[in-house]
Amino acid sequence: MTPGKHSGALARAANAGAWRYRDFRGGEKGWWTTPQLVATMPVSPAGSHKQQNFRLNIATQPKKSISFFATMKATSVKGYTGANQSRMAVSKTVLIPPELKTAEKTNPSIKTMQVFDINGTDVTPRPLYHPDPLTGTAKPNKLLTSQEGSLGPEFISSHSLYQNTINPSMLGQFTRSVLGSSTVSKSSVSTSESIAEDLEEPSYKRERLTSFTDLQVIRAAPEKIVTKEDLEKNIEIILTETETLRFFDLPTVMVSVESEEAEKVTQRNKNYEVLCRNRLGNDLYVERMMQTFNGAPKNKDVQCDKIIMEDKGIMSTAWDLYDSYNAVEPLSLSVKPSVVESSSKTNVLPKDQDQRLPGSTTEKNSETSSLMDIENVILAKIHEDEEDHSDAILKSDKFHQDLFFMERVLMENIFQPKLAAYRQLPVLKEPEPEESEDFLESAKREEVEEESKKEEEEEIHAEESTIPANLERLWSFSCDLTKGLNVSSLAWNKTNPDLLAVGYGHFGFKEQKRGLACCWSIKNPMWPERIYQSPYGVTAVDFSIGAPNLLAVGYHNGTIAIYNVRSNSNVPVLDSSESPQKHLGPVWQLQWIEQDRGTTGDDKREILVSISADGRISKWVIRKGLDCYDLMRLKRTTATSNRKGGEKEKKDEALISRQAPGMCFSFHPKDTNIYLAGTEEGHIHKCSCSYNEQYLNTYRGHKGPVYKVTWNPFCHDVFLSCSADWGVIIWQQENVKPFLSFYPTTSVVYDVAWSPKSSYIFAAANENRVEIWDLHISTLDPLIVNTANPGIKFTTILFAKQTDCLLVGDSDGQVSVYELRNMPTALESGRGDIIDTLLGPKSNQPA
Amino acid sequence: MTAEVEETLKRIQSHKGVIGTMVVNAEGIPIRTTLDNSTTVQYAGLLHHLTMKAKSTVRDIDPQNDLTFLRIRSKKHEIMVAPDKEYLLIVIQNPCE
Repeated sequence: MTPGKHSGALARAANAGAWRYRDFRGGEKGWWTTPQLVATMPVSPAGSHKQQNFRLNIATQPKKSISFFATMKATSVKGYTGANQSRMAVSKTVLIPPELKTAEKTNPSIKTMQVFDINGTDVTPRPLYHPDPLTGTAKPNKLLTSQEGSLGPEFISSHSLYQNTINPSMLGQFTRSVLGSSTVSKSSVSTSESIAEDLEEPSYKRERLTSFTDLQVIRAAPEKIVTKEDLEKNIEIILTETETLRFFDLPTVMVSVESEEAEKVTQRNKNYEVLCRNRLGNDLYVERMMQTFNGAPKNKDVQCDKIIMEDKGIMSTAWDLYDSYNAVEPLSLSVKPSVVESSSKTNVLPKDQDQRLPGSTTEKNSETSSLMDIENVILAKIHEDEEDHSDAILKSDKFHQDLFFMERVLMENIFQPKLAAYRQLPVLKEPEPEESEDFLESAKREEVEEESKKEEEEEIHAEESTIPANLERLWSFSCDLTKGLNVSSLAWNKTNPDLLAVGYGHFGFKEQKRGLACCWSIKNPMWPERIYQSPYGVTAVDFSIGAPNLLAVGYHNGTIAIYNVRSNSNVPVLDSSESPQKHLGPVWQLQWIEQDRGTTGDDKREILVSISADGRISKWVIRKGLDCYDLMRLKRTTATSNRKGGEKEKKDEALISRQAPGMCFSFHPKDTNIYLAGTEEGHIHKCSCSYNEQYLNTYRGHKGPVYKVTWNPFCHDVFLSCSADWGVIIWQQENVKPFLSFYPTTSVVYDVAWSPKSSYIFAAANENRVEIWDLHISTLDPLIVNTANPGIKFTTILFAKQTDCLLVGDSDGQVSVYELRNMPTALESGRGDIIDTLLGPKSNQPA
Repeated sequence: MTAEVEETLKRIQSHKGVIGTMVVNAEGIPIRTTLDNSTTVQYAGLLHHLTMKAKSTVRDIDPQNDLTFLRIRSKKHEIMVAPDKEYLLIVIQNPCE
């Protein structure tokens, strides 16, 4: 029983209304709220199992000095009262124990505290607890005294239901004190009875809170911050009754003594009293204890299989999340990007796979087949599945690509210094590697970074001033396939500066062998990227400008074939062998020209112009096939300057063919309508696309077939020609006479080319020498002379556009890359003034 | 197609300075190799892990990127690895400088 509930009981006891208390014995104000009412019904908490029928005898109300206010409406009260009545009746006859006497004595001396409500009803809360009188001798006395005092004449111990440690004996004290009767030693029953006797009146019986010496339960007042004003304030405390909590309700029945039932009641009370008295030893009442069945606990073990714990860790990475997000995309999308990738990697001129020669030599076939046999044997030992899988791996495109790149990487490692020199990049040195441009990454992209500051090796740095200009051989494009063939033409790709087309074919009619057109990449000098074989010698190659993947190849038999370098197939895309207008003689030069076709309305149409030994300069147009239009028919011209005798000339003109075989041509850099054509006669004709019969001009100077004619890229009035008469002649456009002529050696000059960097420099390849001329320095001697190995003739020459390198093709199938070193710096200003510079002091008479 | 592959492989193997060429599948089993089996397996195992790590690094930085080639240059030689989901192409070269 918690003290908190006391208030309820009290409130009930108080029967609503406001309380007003005057004084409390015990002092604490809050105490009344938690009174300890001793005289509670033993029924409730004390475990008393006695039935008590208490009847309150109203009539016997007035005691001597006690007026009882039955506070409790509880049944216990009533019950008690009944008992009380009986008790009272009995008690009067009972000897007064000595303690009680004291109680009596103390009775009047004790002040009584009373709490009255508005109506004047005494609502003094009764104590809930009465300490056990048996526990201590002194205490009971005190108790009695306190009880005495507390009870006073007007109060009755209430039947508070709220008892802490109910000891009915306590109750007894109460009553005893009040009544001055009954014994302390009485049993609990008696005490309860006696207590019950106290409660005679059905009306409110108030009790003083008596004993609280042992147990004082004070309900803690709610914490409040007390301010000074609060302290001085008059606080009105309003006490209200809380809800009644009934624990036990045994209604009190009061029977009037004078009623008919009075006797019965008294008799019953008596019986009960006797019963209670006799209870201890009575056989009828046996205190028994029952033991509950406690289920015997049983331990049960269960064995389970070992729980295998596995640690699983996953590292969430950014790409993991990305993959998971993209995993839902359909497969087709995933396929497409891979295709796109592969095509994007192979950019302008993809060379994603090395080409397998369909017509490779039998030796190679046998080699590879034997290798295959060995490998097949090895493979046979591997498990079937793996074998299939490994084959799948080997056949996969990705593998091809990886192989391709790997080869390039290897090349880069091998050729790194050379390539670096070519690209004018720092050379990687071991063991202190300088930072090197990573060729591989640039190899992946078709665009190569160039034009970093040229760094030479330390030796060169030291000796830069002293070493004259020279050609340094970097490497050469050659492989087994090309061995023994004559390089007949070289051409750079217009878009990819690393791609080189080389045509292999012999010049002479008798030396004809099979021909080969290869596409080489700078990044792989040991194996060409594309190999196009043909039975006829290749005499001319050129890459298209507008469609840089198209390679035009001219053959010795007059056929022109166009290959698509992007694909791996060896079959040309277009072939002129079926064309009725195909050339009948070797196609000596091919060039793609972007021409303004103002007349027809198409502009910048690209045409392929070819010149061949059958004397025709043809224009090929790709429409549905190769369509050919003749730009010019080269007629044999007489030496018009030597018109000694017209008649004689005419007679001399009875030749086999009126057409002069054309050897070379060159379109004007600015005006694509004008072009120069060199013939076998040694004449150079300036022609126009508008006229296909007439020449605009004829330059006569050479005595032998003009093998090459080329305009100066900077000075558009000047062109250069070389011929079999050992000579190289510089012409001026307006002047039909040669401007400058060079006869350095007594060997045929096969090829000549202007340097793209300077207007003064040109290179000439004759049979056993490559000469670099710098007109600015000297017009008499070449600047650099590079002699070939004996037996090898230099046949073609080509400048590299961005770098200071020169490509020279020879008759052994090698295309060597030379680097021009220590060239005198080209004068920017001199580009356009070559004529003026040369005209003055050094003008040679045409030979 | 296969012949072309063989041809290219042969060419690679015959290049200057190439010590060994290996093609191993995803489990580390050599498909083609010019070195002995133990070396191949060792290279394959070690390079597989390294390639995974490199790939993870590249993709962590940008998930749309991917590793295409890996080169490890050491004092003695250079190991070049072309990784793929299904295979590893490994070439060991002694670059002559």
